[in-house]
Amino acid sequence: MFKKILSYFDNFNFSLKTNILIFIISGGMLSIVVLSLMSTFSIKYDFDKLYEQRTKPLIKLESIKDTYTVNIQDTLYDIENKNITYMQAKEVINLALQLIQTNWGEYKKAKDIKQPAIYIGDFIKKFLVTQHQYYKNETLHKSISKNIDKKMININARLHNLEIANHNKDLVKEFAKLHLEINAINIYITSLINYDLTLALNEKRDTEKVFEVIITVSMFSIVLIFLFSVILSVLLINHFKRLHKLLEAKVESKTKELVELNNSLEKRVVQEVKNNRKKDIIMFQQARLASLGEMLNNIAHQWRQPLGSITMIIQSFQTKMQLGKLTDSFIDDKVKDALFLAENMSNTLDDFKNFFSPDKTKKEFSIKECIEHSFELSKYALEKAGIKTYLTMKKDIKINSYYNELSHVFLNLINNSKDALYTNINKNDRIIKVIIKQYKDDVVINFIDNGGGIPQDIAPKIFEPYYTTKYKSAGTGIGLYMSKQIIEKHMYGSIYQKNIIHKITKDKNYNCSLFIIKIPILKEENDEK
Amino acid sequence: MKNKDLNILNKFNILYLEDDEDLLRHTTDVLEDFVNNIFAAKTSKEALEILKNKKVDVIISDILLENENGIDFLKLIKEQKGISIPTILTTAHTDTKYLLDAIKLKVENYIVKPINIKELLNSLHDILLPVVQEKEIRRNTNVIRTISAITDSKQVDIIKFIINNLDNNNLFSASYSDIMDHINISKPTLIKLFKELAEKNILVKVQHKTYRFNELALEEI
Repeated sequence: MFKKILSYFDNFNFSLKTNILIFIISGGMLSIVVLSLMSTFSIKYDFDKLYEQRTKPLIKLESIKDTYTVNIQDTLYDIENKNITYMQAKEVINLALQLIQTNWGEYKKAKDIKQPAIYIGDFIKKFLVTQHQYYKNETLHKSISKNIDKKMININARLHNLEIANHNKDLVKEFAKLHLEINAINIYITSLINYDLTLALNEKRDTEKVFEVIITVSMFSIVLIFLFSVILSVLLINHFKRLHKLLEAKVESKTKELVELNNSLEKRVVQEVKNNRKKDIIMFQQARLASLGEMLNNIAHQWRQPLGSITMIIQSFQTKMQLGKLTDSFIDDKVKDALFLAENMSNTLDDFKNFFSPDKTKKEFSIKECIEHSFELSKYALEKAGIKTYLTMKKDIKINSYYNELSHVFLNLINNSKDALYTNINKNDRIIKVIIKQYKDDVVINFIDNGGGIPQDIAPKIFEPYYTTKYKSAGTGIGLYMSKQIIEKHMYGSIYQKNIIHKITKDKNYNCSLFIIKIPILKEENDEK
Repeated sequence: MKNKDLNILNKFNILYLEDDEDLLRHTTDVLEDFVNNIFAAKTSKEALEILKNKKVDVIISDILLENENGIDFLKLIKEQKGISIPTILTTAHTDTKYLLDAIKLKVENYIVKPINIKELLNSLHDILLPVVQEKEIRRNTNVIRTISAITDSKQVDIIKFIINNLDNNNLFSASYSDIMDHINISKPTLIKLFKELAEKNILVKVQHKTYRFNELALEEI
């Protein structure tokens, strides 16, 4: 049964349990305090009553008794012994009678006083005491009171008779009767006192009983509350423990999961980094291939002219021979020319070969040279599209960096500008302008073309890989991505694009696209640090 | 080249427009052996100057010139200046666009670089041969006219009639009266002429009213 309740209780949720605990503790406390307060008050009331109702009347009765014995009887004795005159005695006796009258009246009044309020103590008392109030005997009390009243009247009457006796000189007889009456009344009063004392004693016992009951109840309730609190606390603590264990287990499992996730993530990150690197390498290769294609076009063009001339020279020997005009000087002349042309062709090849050689060493070079070289390499495409190029700078700046890679970047920009100019701008109006400045420790290269600028919706994406506006065959979409990689990762610089309105030449405003490249000028010493 | 008589070129002047200085020089060196005069020009401006001042028989032009275009140059001279001179275009490009433009301009030939000099010379020969032949025909006509002016013109007329009425097999079919219907000549004179031609084996009688004109016999005279 107890276990059932306990388990039923245990099934409550945490907050309900806590609330119950708090309710029990606070309710118990409150009831104990109220109970103790009430019992204190009722006990105080009992004591008051004991004094007011029992002790005071006893005093009154005692004083009545004293008055009878001391004042009246002594005075009577004095008269007998003729110590005082009758007149003197009469005065004293009248005074004594008055005193007795008042005291008796007060005694009766005190008996009639109602209890002023009802306390819980009284209920308890009533409940506990009813069957024990055998000692309370109202009839006895009443009869004694009546007898006392009667005796008093008798005494008063006797005392009046005394006056008459005094006249009749019959005092002694009366005295004897009076003494008898007074003794009788004293006996009555004594019995009344005894009765009242018994009452008081009984009431005191009642009060003690009530006190004991209250104490027991309080103790019992305290113990009960304590017990309840302890049980609830234990339950709560158990609940806590269970909850704690549960949470601990949960946390552990979650931690485990997290650790696993972390591990797998780490693996994935490593994998992805690897993939990315592979992708980057592939992209670099694609970009190289793309520019290789461009370059091949350039080489082809640059080779065509000398090849044509050499072909002509070779054929000229034949025709001259057939016509018999082949002279030594002609041969010398033509061979010299042919060799010169062949050397040029070879140089062109070297140029491009150098450009594509995986030369990754840093070296000091002039920015101007690099840009001019880039223009030279794409000369054919620029000429074909009729693009004019301008390069302005105050003084040549030398930087210590990767020549080929920077050249690659310029080629990309030139190529993009060329495409934009080719599609957007009239043939006679195509311009690329490069301005080189030094700003603090950076070399700033402004690369401007009047191709109309880059549309707002495209501009944020131009540096993303595989983003291209060109037909699939024309662009791989990695040129600018590569350029950004090169500038930022290899040269620790920055590249960004703006659309501006610029007077490229003096006469006219154009919508222009501006690429700003900043590269720190790293001196050899700084680099080694 | 063996079959073609390149000597016919040596009476002509050629304008060569090419922006590559080396190629211009070397090609000129070769061509000058074959032609009367070769005028080398690097730009269309120079070329126009030459066209104004010299007699040019053939133009050889590159398509891609520095900052200009050979096709535009040809359009200019053909359509605006009304100069009609046979033209050969040379180019490193085989773009259809250029080719179509060239055809529209009725260019005589289109040579892909690097230039094969034999091809160029043959092409020049092909272009200039009709010119040479035309000149020859005109000369011969003049010879005949001069002869007929100083001899009996009737006999010349009859020979003209015979040659003009030859069929594909060099056969001439007509009776004397047929001839006399066309040309006012006496029968005895006509007979005498036919006899003379038969004696020289120039006009051989194959059957009645049919004669073969023997060209080989002319060579032997």
